[in-house]
Amino acid sequence: MNAHAHRVAGQRLPRLDGIGKVTGKHVYAADFTLPGMLFGKVLRSHRAHALIRKLDISRAAEIPGVRGIITSADIPAVRFGQAVRDTSVFALDRVLFVGHPIAAVAATSLEIAEQAIAAIDVEFDDLPALFDPEAALDSNIRIHPDWESYKALPIIARSGNISGRARIHAGDVDAAFASAHRVYEHRFTTPLVHPGYTEPRAAVADWDANSNVTVWSNTQLPFDTQNTLAEILDLPAARVRVIVPGIGGGFGGKLRIGVEHFAALLARKTARPVKVMTTSEEELTSAYPRQATVVSLKTAVDREGRLLAREGRIIVDCGAFAGSGPGTAAISLQIMVGPYKTPALALEGIAVYTNKVPSGSFRAPAGPMANFAVESQMDMIAKDLGIDPLEIRLRNIVKEGDLGPSGEIHKSVSIEECLRKAADAIGWEHRNPEPGRGKGIACSWWMTTGGSSGVYVKINPDGTATLVSGAVEIGSGAITGAAQVLAEELSLDLTDINVAGVDTQTAPFDYGAQGSRTAFSVGNACLAAASDLRRQMFDLAARQLDSQVDTMVLRDKHVVAGSKSISIAELARISRLSGGGLIAHGTAISPSPAYDPTRLENHPLPAWNSPSYHAHAVDLSVDPETGSVSINRYVVAQDVGFAINPTYIEGQIEGGVAQGIGQALSEEIVYRDGTVMNANLTDYKMPTAQDVPDVECILVECASAAGPYGAKGVGEPPCIQPPAAINNAIAAATGFWLRSLPMTAEKIAEQLRAGRT
Amino acid sequence: MTRTNLDIVVNGERHQILIEPHWTLLHVLRNVIGMMGTKENCLEAECGVCTVLLDGKSVNSCILLAGQVAGRSVTTIEGLGNPEHLHPLQAAFIECGAVQCGYCIPGMILTAKSFLDENPGRRPSRDEIREAIAGTLCRCTGYRKIVDAVALAAERMSVAGSNP
Amino acid sequence: MSFDLHKPATISEAVGLATRLAPAARYIAGGTDLVIQINRKKISPDHLIDLGRLPGLVGIAETAHGFSLGSLTNYRAIELHPAFQGRLSCLVEAARVVGGHQVRNIATVGGNIVNASPAADFVPALLALDAVLEIAGPTGNRTVGLEQFIVGPGKTELRPAEIVTAIRFSRLPDRSATAFLKEGRRKAMEISVVCVAACLTLDESGSRCVSARLAVGAAAPKAMRPKEAEACLSDQPAGRASFAKAGRLAAEAAAPISDVRASAAHRRHLVAVMVERALTMCHQRIVEERR
Repeated sequence: MNAHAHRVAGQRLPRLDGIGKVTGKHVYAADFTLPGMLFGKVLRSHRAHALIRKLDISRAAEIPGVRGIITSADIPAVRFGQAVRDTSVFALDRVLFVGHPIAAVAATSLEIAEQAIAAIDVEFDDLPALFDPEAALDSNIRIHPDWESYKALPIIARSGNISGRARIHAGDVDAAFASAHRVYEHRFTTPLVHPGYTEPRAAVADWDANSNVTVWSNTQLPFDTQNTLAEILDLPAARVRVIVPGIGGGFGGKLRIGVEHFAALLARKTARPVKVMTTSEEELTSAYPRQATVVSLKTAVDREGRLLAREGRIIVDCGAFAGSGPGTAAISLQIMVGPYKTPALALEGIAVYTNKVPSGSFRAPAGPMANFAVESQMDMIAKDLGIDPLEIRLRNIVKEGDLGPSGEIHKSVSIEECLRKAADAIGWEHRNPEPGRGKGIACSWWMTTGGSSGVYVKINPDGTATLVSGAVEIGSGAITGAAQVLAEELSLDLTDINVAGVDTQTAPFDYGAQGSRTAFSVGNACLAAASDLRRQMFDLAARQLDSQVDTMVLRDKHVVAGSKSISIAELARISRLSGGGLIAHGTAISPSPAYDPTRLENHPLPAWNSPSYHAHAVDLSVDPETGSVSINRYVVAQDVGFAINPTYIEGQIEGGVAQGIGQALSEEIVYRDGTVMNANLTDYKMPTAQDVPDVECILVECASAAGPYGAKGVGEPPCIQPPAAINNAIAAATGFWLRSLPMTAEKIAEQLRAGRT
Repeated sequence: MTRTNLDIVVNGERHQILIEPHWTLLHVLRNVIGMMGTKENCLEAECGVCTVLLDGKSVNSCILLAGQVAGRSVTTIEGLGNPEHLHPLQAAFIECGAVQCGYCIPGMILTAKSFLDENPGRRPSRDEIREAIAGTLCRCTGYRKIVDAVALAAERMSVAGSNP
Repeated sequence: MSFDLHKPATISEAVGLATRLAPAARYIAGGTDLVIQINRKKISPDHLIDLGRLPGLVGIAETAHGFSLGSLTNYRAIELHPAFQGRLSCLVEAARVVGGHQVRNIATVGGNIVNASPAADFVPALLALDAVLEIAGPTGNRTVGLEQFIVGPGKTELRPAEIVTAIRFSRLPDRSATAFLKEGRRKAMEISVVCVAACLTLDESGSRCVSARLAVGAAAPKAMRPKEAEACLSDQPAGRASFAKAGRLAAEAAAPISDVRASAAHRRHLVAVMVERALTMCHQRIVEERR
């Protein structure tokens, strides 16, 4: 590798799509239009659980300007989904949550479509509903009476309302509890929160003369969307083309089909292009929020605070469809162990159906919920034993070669460095600088999601390179990062790389912009493609320069062989004339680490690729009477393996912490009797610029074996620790911990008053 | 539905269009004039991505009736600079890494511009900048680099001696 | 959903239009509340009468006795006005928390008052200054106190076709100060969980309260003046004990509800805390001004 000079990779270079974004020229899916386009709206249920007695679209169909209406009667009864294929496009014989789609209308204007929606007559017979996940576990009420007939991934264990149950066990938990110095039991709850992207979900669909459909959408997973659409439309996938013009944030909320199927179905019905876009209200009632959870932890320690055993259960409320509930319940188990050595484990993650919005994979699914529990309890244990919270962690953290929860081996371990640096930066020696002010820490680990990526790279006769990838740039700068890797390997400048738009028809498969994998995986694919291009260039240069390949290097956009050289641009020109051009295909798939399958039951993601380690430290003040929290300083020490572009990595950390602060202090989708009470941005409270401090980033580089230049995934981890770190700081300031999120001023004020009496 | 005439100036260009009276300025900009740089999201003045300048002051175009701005001057992101000559705010946003997904950025830049133009030549504190942009939500950046960019632009604009 | 948008050039033209087009006509000032209500289909007027062209309704003027705010003055103009940075600082503190800059560049004080949200931030600040409204209408002009004007959530005693033209309040005597506080679930862009305004005047020694006006928002069906709490300060020593007592009485007088933003109990608790704090701030400001 020519990586040592790091002219490009590792540099703070401006992102490739910046100018378009600051001038308003960048086109997002929400901006995309086609001539003759109709506007689609979806009729959504106002009942949480009810049989559909009557569905009459005749009044709506008569409204001038309405061009097409579809219901479940118009489409095959396909069920789709990831872990469990339980989702239908429209409600079939019953609605399962408030927001469940029942019909869709296309009309010549949005207003007419809205009028038509209001004119569809639906009558319901209510069914008993389940809103509480714990009640749903044992209830005789079946949200999916035909659950046994659904196809599912073989690894997933389901029964009744349980859409997935995973377990991890090791050692002898009972013996450990029996002989422990102390055993601590706590229960925590976390609510639904919305990913909060500022661009609504949008799709435009158009069918061509050969009955192929193109969908322009802001999906994070164009190939997954292509597959799901193909199933719904009953077409071979090759006849479905998904293009992502641009996307205004995703954070895992734009992974799965959102409005693309409505657009495609309406476009087919009306033989016109159709655009469907969600409203704020639809986002807060019918999108893919983070699951609400209940976490119970029972932890045994010795006199020195060393972890002996942990018994834990997380109940993940997946809402009316399984979505990523089963996966989230399973991943929670690794977070419940944390970056700690715990010899005995008995952990269970259960995903359960309720009659609420089906949830999804918001940034680090499982992370903030399970970490809130684990890291809060860690501090409670520390206080009870009279041990400093940093010290108790240092006594328990894993070291290189230690076993992880699934029996995998921890490698490239940096958790100690992260903890010490974060604690040092926050001024850990003075945890209570003044009354009402405290400091807290929390740490975790996280995966770099695997899956494959492919790229095509061609060198152009002007010396630039075109990068064709199926991975969407969702804002993180990951594609710029991959381009930096490519430029580094080809001795080009970053600005010599042209990134092609994402189009399933022409791009190689990519597992998707999710799970902190994009820069890692696309970067690796670029390394492979660059390696092939180097070989092609050297072979061609050998003939042109009459030199040996093994004397050649790439430098300053030239192939250099001793005193002779030829430019990459010239080689590209020659190659075009003589043989079709310099073009390479690179693929990458992350290796799966070895683990001990006997520890696991029905766990779909047993071992993590290239995990990262991280620690957060916060300094905050609590108003002693109002309970209001003001964050004074926030520090993150995150192991990024290798910082491909420190500026955008900092951006991920700063933004992730802001989301974490929102989850910690103010965000919650509030349900009452199955209806969302705050389905607007007035009452769904995301942090403004005055709610977030200047987050301080310490980038730790402990190289991974598998990542480009040793990089590890970066995007998700920063939102994991804020709730626990903030809870621990609140405890340092006030003497008590909260057990539920969000930790509002009201909850804190109530605790403060209770403490006084 | 009777449409009425609307005469507005957008980025220095006069537009004479027919509107339905309930159409908002945002709708007219995006769907009638066809300028997509101003973004759409909450439609209730809570998120700020629809921010434009009305006679130089930042406003939420999603809740302004197009008819209310007849005869007045609207500035959108398209009127601020272009790739060859970026406005100092646009250049600073790129330099400081303040752009991630970018959807809030047109609104954010105009929110900042309105604030800086209230006191040309002055360098606001970081807290003042945070207060000024509090009406425009960003979900990607955590705001730090946005504040960096506005501070940098303010410094450069004060040195240059005039606000473009 | 649509309507006719009218743009009268004079107040009498506006009033005439409203009279003629009643009851399906509404005035629109900034529109920051109205347009949202129309978009959400909460109201569907056939006619909107845009007050934006009417002369003399924008601006902040000093009068013989105090100040007059034109009803179409926007909040940004109020928050930046130099005359309000001293004793009348509650006006700046309240204006500053109405939405963000974008909202404040359009939203008008008159529109906000007539909208009569129980959580409106600026209303308590005006109540603490005992503001009165100038109103123009088909039967002529009249004056009414702001306290009497707002009768309930979203309800005022504005008569058909009337337009609020100005808001007046008096200059404060020496040894006076005001303060405004707001609590919410985040630090900006917030509908108040509770807001409080206080206006305190001390005696010549600077140690006893001569008079106090308190106003509490978002803790009752309308912003209210807790009269017992105000009365308990009369001739009392300025300080923690009397301010805390006023806070307790104000909390007792509040009638908060529980909603998705906060519980009634928490709101009541905040009223007590915030009234005490607002009075303490007034006291500090009077002491500082004397120096």
